[in-house]
This record gives sequence, structure tokens and C-alpha cells, in this order.
Amino acid sequence: MSNADLDAFLKDCERALGAENVSLAAETIQRYGEHTLPAADRRPGAVVYPGSTAEVQAVVRAANAHKVPIFPVSTGNNMGLGTRAPVRAGQVVVDLAKRMNRILEIDEVLGYAAVEPGVSFQMMADELVRRGGRYVISTTSGPPQGGMLGNALDKGAGYGPMFDHFGFSCGMEVVLGNGDVIRTGDGSIDHPNAPNWHVSKYSFGPILDGLFTQSNFGIVTRMGIWLMPKPPAIRSFHFAFPDDDDLEQIVELCRPLKLANFVPTLFRVSNDLYLIGTHDTYPDYEKSGGKASISDAQRKALQAKHRCGAWNVSGAFYGPSMEAMEPQINRVKQIFLQSGKAKYISHEEALASPPLKIAIDSFSGVPTHGELGLLKWRPGGGNSWAPPGTPMVGKTANKFQKAARAIYERHGMDYMIMNVCGGRFARGLHVISFNRESADERRRADAVYREVSNAFAAEGVSVGRAPVDYYDFHMSKLMPSFRDACRAIKKALDPNGIIAPGKYGID
Amino acid sequence: MQTAFTAAQLRNPEIADAAAILKDCVHYGFCTAVCPTYVVLRDENDSPRGRIDLIRAMLEKGGAPDAKTVLHLDRCLSCNSCMTTCAAKVDYMHLADIGRAHIEKHYRRPLGERLLRALLARVLTRPERFRLAVRGARIARPFARVLPRRLRPLIALAPTALPSAADAVRAGLYPADGARRMRVALLAGCVQQALAPRINAATIRVLTRHGCEVVVAEGATCCGALPLHMGREDQAKALARETIAAWQRAMAEGGLDAVVVNASGCGTTVKDYGKIFKHDGAIAAPAQEIAERALDVSELLARLGLKTPAMRIPLAIAYHDACSLQHAQKVTEPPRALLRKAGFRVLDVPERHFCCGSAGTYNMLQPELAEQFGRRKAAHIDSTGAAAIAAGNLGCLTQIGLYSALPAVHTVELLDWATGGPMPALLEGIKMPPPASEEAPPAPADANAIW
Repeated sequence: MSNADLDAFLKDCERALGAENVSLAAETIQRYGEHTLPAADRRPGAVVYPGSTAEVQAVVRAANAHKVPIFPVSTGNNMGLGTRAPVRAGQVVVDLAKRMNRILEIDEVLGYAAVEPGVSFQMMADELVRRGGRYVISTTSGPPQGGMLGNALDKGAGYGPMFDHFGFSCGMEVVLGNGDVIRTGDGSIDHPNAPNWHVSKYSFGPILDGLFTQSNFGIVTRMGIWLMPKPPAIRSFHFAFPDDDDLEQIVELCRPLKLANFVPTLFRVSNDLYLIGTHDTYPDYEKSGGKASISDAQRKALQAKHRCGAWNVSGAFYGPSMEAMEPQINRVKQIFLQSGKAKYISHEEALASPPLKIAIDSFSGVPTHGELGLLKWRPGGGNSWAPPGTPMVGKTANKFQKAARAIYERHGMDYMIMNVCGGRFARGLHVISFNRESADERRRADAVYREVSNAFAAEGVSVGRAPVDYYDFHMSKLMPSFRDACRAIKKALDPNGIIAPGKYGID
Repeated sequence: MQTAFTAAQLRNPEIADAAAILKDCVHYGFCTAVCPTYVVLRDENDSPRGRIDLIRAMLEKGGAPDAKTVLHLDRCLSCNSCMTTCAAKVDYMHLADIGRAHIEKHYRRPLGERLLRALLARVLTRPERFRLAVRGARIARPFARVLPRRLRPLIALAPTALPSAADAVRAGLYPADGARRMRVALLAGCVQQALAPRINAATIRVLTRHGCEVVVAEGATCCGALPLHMGREDQAKALARETIAAWQRAMAEGGLDAVVVNASGCGTTVKDYGKIFKHDGAIAAPAQEIAERALDVSELLARLGLKTPAMRIPLAIAYHDACSLQHAQKVTEPPRALLRKAGFRVLDVPERHFCCGSAGTYNMLQPELAEQFGRRKAAHIDSTGAAAIAAGNLGCLTQIGLYSALPAVHTVELLDWATGGPMPALLEGIKMPPPASEEAPPAPADANAIW
């Protein structure tokens, strides 16, 4: 891409979007290039702000005409995974959140919403409150200003019955890389009104929706998202376990409760630092110069200070009243307390504990800032997330834990993880907190990420999402024919390769 | 964030404070999405992150700031929404104070602007001057169109009528009803005494009814918040010193269990006295002592436990979180819990993190932006279907009242009413729901609900 190409592209964008929606301001370019990962910032060539699907289409057509690569972002709040910085410097960021942030529809009879890319968890939660609170969303415990659509497309998740955000989306509108606009699912019927668009996934023809997750084949400009009727009461339960190796029995205890769906939420199984790091910082960071992992003695002291264990389990029931859930709570207590190691923490006690309140909010569909405190465990703002997973078998989960913990400690970093457990699988949200202003810590954080990922890959385990810096690294671990298939689809839907080349390792 | 202050600059304690705060900012940018000015203007320099960078550059360079820096800092509401969301816990509130004080010392504003700011700082902080000014505004109102542009918002904001000066609560001691449980000082305030003395009267009734001996200390008039927000640090500190001295006298006379504030903008400043005076020698310790005792009236009532309401009034109340309560003081649950206990139906307002545009003197100094925020807030409040608005800060009540037709009353007025006080005058004529039974009624049956 030459400067002349970029200029011509931006001129086309100005004509289609208005000059005020094309930015080359130095401050803007700098900020959009920033992220929290170990690699250097990557500044975009410009930032454009479309206001409608038609304007997105105009941007894509101009990009094709001038062969200018573009990098669409929704709200750009996926800290630890790349933020808004393009996968390669110079790509033009298409910021969909500034103007395309409308809730297009809420159907309170059928319980769904249709949103543009800029609609955040907080905006939707606010709107549902305004409408009288009949429905709640499934929210992440990440930034409340994170986008619902982007999170679903990146395979993000919440914690309640509708935790699978892509799974509970239904029907999209997409601008393909070639400039065509398609509607997926029942929206694909050639008719201006498709009443089943956001309520039925399985209509005639292939299910294309999955193509637009973690890929670069098109820009999704509208998505249907299912909502959950708000239960009259939510009652959580929590258990603290004292030892690192207790993870094995925790996984064994959680599995049957989830396989039977006796507990309707996922289990949040957080280690000490994941819980404590939301509200505290690495105590001896200055003293150790950040070179050493937190010691076991310090961990024990922090556990005592925050009244938590080496592992901390949270889940919740939904019911007509707090009292009505007493039998379920008693049954769960009976199961967890049988080992003799677990300490029970009631809903009421947890409400008064800021780290556990995060779990309650997350189960309740209430966006929360609380967990963002993890980003300050070490100074300097560096943060990567590595989310591999484990089958819900205690011995396997514990083996993975030991391997990953040893890698963190070998590099003088602090093992911080939440296992989000279903019946068959648990996603392990590994947090790497580091001082991004220290070259040494950047190097060590990068080494931890790669070694943890390699250790899991050696066991045949990939990651659920990946930071922008590691797309090629992970793609290289997939089977060659899968990679070829991705390239072939890219070629078919985006022949000039103008949408985010390199995103998720696809060119 | 790396800074480039010289050793000489860092010997100035305020620069050292700023450097320590700046170090924490790592440009995550969570703040941008919750910053009202960034949401409306979409200029990086009108976001907290952008302003932090501007303050850094201004302080590093020293001397007179450029007009661009002043423009963007002036547009900041100091709502501190950014501090609630900031993952790096950057102390933006104090950085902005340092930045504003620097501007005030080193920047020469245009004459009209200087006069306006001086006028506000001198008039708002003294009830008797404020009353005079409101009379002046009433006379000037018919000629508003020919007045200087900067004065017009003041005329528009000035009330058409003021309560009588005799309604202002008097300095003195208000004994507890029955056994004394606490002795507390109440900040009667400056603007509030002139504009809405009913709030202080309701506060005294509620507190004495709950066993508090209430002291309204002679000389404790203005906490200094308004000039502080304009960067007029010296004037703010002079006013705060008078107030601290008055409370010290009250403390010497009979001790004080708490210093109660019912205007949350003021409460934020009083709670911050320890930091404000930490470099100021002898006043530092008493200032800290006052700060530690400072409580919003809702916090104190939550500690005391609200009496069983004399009658349950299931009126639908939209509770507005004043920024100073929710973002600066982090007091969000006590007012809601108290109102619920009093029998009201409390409705949350969408986009509750967003400022209404009052922000101290903001609606006088930045009227166009303030109007946008005010209309946005009022529309959200009106969308709840509430019968009335409650908030814990007079500034918000005044600002929202400009754009919403609903009666806007202080939380404490509702609590006073529910526990035996008079109905707030602003609610007269409101359509009352039928009285509720002792226990809150079950939620109305929803045909689609399965529970």
C-alpha cells in the first residue's frame, strides 16, 4: 500500500462518511496503536468511523478499489488480547463503536435483542433496567464497556446459563470482504422482513455464522442476541480450598453438578492471586524488582488478609426467593464439605467481599469493573491472557496446573488463573501481569505465554482466544489442511485480502 | 506513564504528587468510554487519558500553559467517572486539581472569563451575597439578550424566587429527640442555605429523630469545593480553614462523632481535607481529623438504622447517583437501601454513571455542554416512569430540574417525610399511589413469568 493509495482511500471515505468521520489526528493514531501485550505498539494508518451498514460497505469497497488493508474493531476493550491496535501497523482501523452503537430492536415477547457493534454490555444492561428489568444479559466479568457483538464473535463468554455468547447469538448481517452484504440464518430469505431471523438458527442452507468468529472474512454489522428472563432471586455459594493441589478434587466435585445441570451457572474456580489481584497488588514488587514470583509465604499472608483459599469456587442458583433455594444450597454444601477441606462462604458473606461480589454480579448479568483490578497486580500496565482449557477430569486439570505454575515461576512471574468450569470442559483464563515499561519483564511475559501455550499444545490442547501478537504462533500449530481451508475461504470471500490480513493467522 | 520532571521540579511537593499519580496511568483507555465529554465530543484530548497527557506536558514544561490545554481541562466535569472504571486506579481527581491550580496561577484568561470566575467564586460561597446576586439576576432577566454572552447562563440558572433568609437554618445546637446516641456537626453550606434551606431543615429533623444532637457550627459556611474546582486553591483553602476551625471549636465543646454533609459535592471535599492540607503544616492534623469523621447523611443514617416508617409511601422514585457520591465517595447502596426501607419504590436510572452536567460551576462555565448532559440525564430519568427524582446533591437537583418536569427532591427530604416529617413541598399535588401494607408488596404478577 503506497501513501497515494491510502490518500485515495481516505478521500473516498470522506466522501462516503463525511470528513469528520475520518481521522489522521496524531493523538488518535497514537492511542489506537496502543495495547497491553509484550510487543511494541502498532499504529494504524488512519481511523475511520462508519455510521451504518451502507457506510461500512462503502469503506470496504474503497479498500478494495485502492488495496488498502482495514482493521475493524467494535468497542476495542479486549484488554490483554489486543485492544484496538491493528494486527499489522499501517492498517486503517474501522471503529464501529463511535457511531454504530444502536440497540436496533428488543423483543420482550421472544426475549432477544438486535445490536450494532458498538453496543456495550453496560448499554444493554441499562436499557433493560429502563424497560423495567424483565430481562438480563449474560455479561463477561471484563470491562462493562466491552461490546456484546465483538465479544460473541471473539468467542467470549459469561457465567450464567447463556454463558456461550456466540452460541446464544442468532442471525447476523455481514459485509463480506468483497463488499457484498449478507444476512445469515433465517434472515437469508430474500424478503425485507424475516420474523425468524433472530429466533431460529437452523434455516435452509449452511450455517455461515461461525465463519465470522475469530476470522477476517467479513464485518458483522448487526447481530441477534438472546436475553434471559430475570429470575426473582439469585443466591450464590462459595467454597475456599487451602492447597494448590485441591484443584483435582474441585474439578471432580464440580463435574457431576454441571453434567446434571443441578447448578445452572458455570463454576468460577479462581486461584488465590486471581481473586486477590482484583483488589490488591504484588506486595514486594519494588523489593524484588519484579524479578521473582510472589513467594508462598506472601501468598498465604494475602489469603489470610482477603479470607480466601488457594482455590475459590463460586456458583449460583436462580429461584423464586432466597428461601426457596435453601435445599439446593444445602445439597451443594453437603457435596463440597464432604472432603473436609472446603470452607463454605455464604451469599451474604460474599456480598461483603469485593472479590466475591464480582462473581455474584457476573452470575446476575450485572456488568462490573471489579475484575479490571487484575491489570494492576504489577505496575506498568502489561497484560496478556492465555486461555487454553482442560477436560473436566481432576487429574488432568491438576497436571496442567502444575506445569503452567512451574513455567510462571521459572520466569519470575505470578501464576494467576480462573478455571471456568462446565460439565465436560473448563476454560483456564491464564493472566500474565507484567510491567510493560520493563524490557526484561516484556521478554519474560512473552516467554511465559509461549511456553504455557507450547506445554498445552504438546498435550493436544489449543487456546480459546488469543492475543493479537500470537495469531501466527497458534495458527502454525493447527493441521495444514485446516490452514489451507481458512486461506481458501479468505480468497473466496475477500479476494483482495483487505479485511484485517493476519487476523487470527489468516491471510 | 514515564515522566520527565527535573529534580528541581520534584522538590515542589505538588509536582511530586502529580508525578506519582502520572506514573500509574498506562493508557488502558477504559476511562474514555465512561467520560461524558469524550462520549459527546470524541476528541482524545477531551478524555481523561488525553487530559492526563496534557497535564503531564503542562507541568513538565512549567510556566504558562497553552490555550489548547486550558480548553480541554476546562471542559472536564471532574465527575470522576473515569476513576470508577480505571483499572490502574489513577488518582485523576487530585491530578486535575493540581492541573487546575497550575492554570490558575500561570494562565491569564480573557478579561470576561476572569471576571466571571471571580464573581462566581465570591458570590456562591456566601449565602448573603448569593441572595443579592439572585435579586440582581431577576432584575436583569428581561435584558438577558443584551447582556454579555458569558453572563446569560447565570441569569438562566438563577431561580425566579428564593426562600426567605429567615428559612436558613441557624447556627446552634439541635438536641436529640429522646436519648442522645451521637453528637454530630452538620455542614449547612453556602448555596444550599440560600437556595434550598429546606434540605438542611429536613436533615436536622431526621437526625434528631434518630437520636443525634446536631451542631450547626458558627463559622462553618463554605467547605471550599466550588473555588477548588475552579483551581482557586488559595481561596478554597481559606474557606476550608474557617470551616475546620469552627468544627474544631465544636469538637472541643463536646466532641463530635461525625461531620455530616448533605450536599455530596461538598462531602467529597470535606472527606478530602486530609489530602488537601497535607503539605500545610499545623492545619494538616485537624484537617485529617475532620476528614476521618466526614460522612454523607445517607451513610450516617444507614449506621443509625432507619426508624420504622410512620407510613409506607410506595411512590416510584428515580434515584439519581450524584457523581460526587458514586464516583468520588463510592456511596451508592445506602441511599437506595434507606429509601426502600422507607417504603419507596426505587428505580435505577439508565446510564447512571453519566454526569448530569451540574458539576459545581460547570453549568455556568460550560453551558452548552452542560445542557447536552442535562437533557440526556433528564430523558433517561423520564424514561423510568418515576413520579419523582431523588438525589443527594443540590447541584444535581437544580440542573436536572431545568430539563425534567418531575419534582426533584433530596433523599433526606423523603426519609424525613416517611419517618414523620412533612411532605416535601415540591411533591404537593403529586398523584399518590394507594398506601402499602407493612411489608413491601410482592412484585406485580407478570403473565409471562414462570416463577
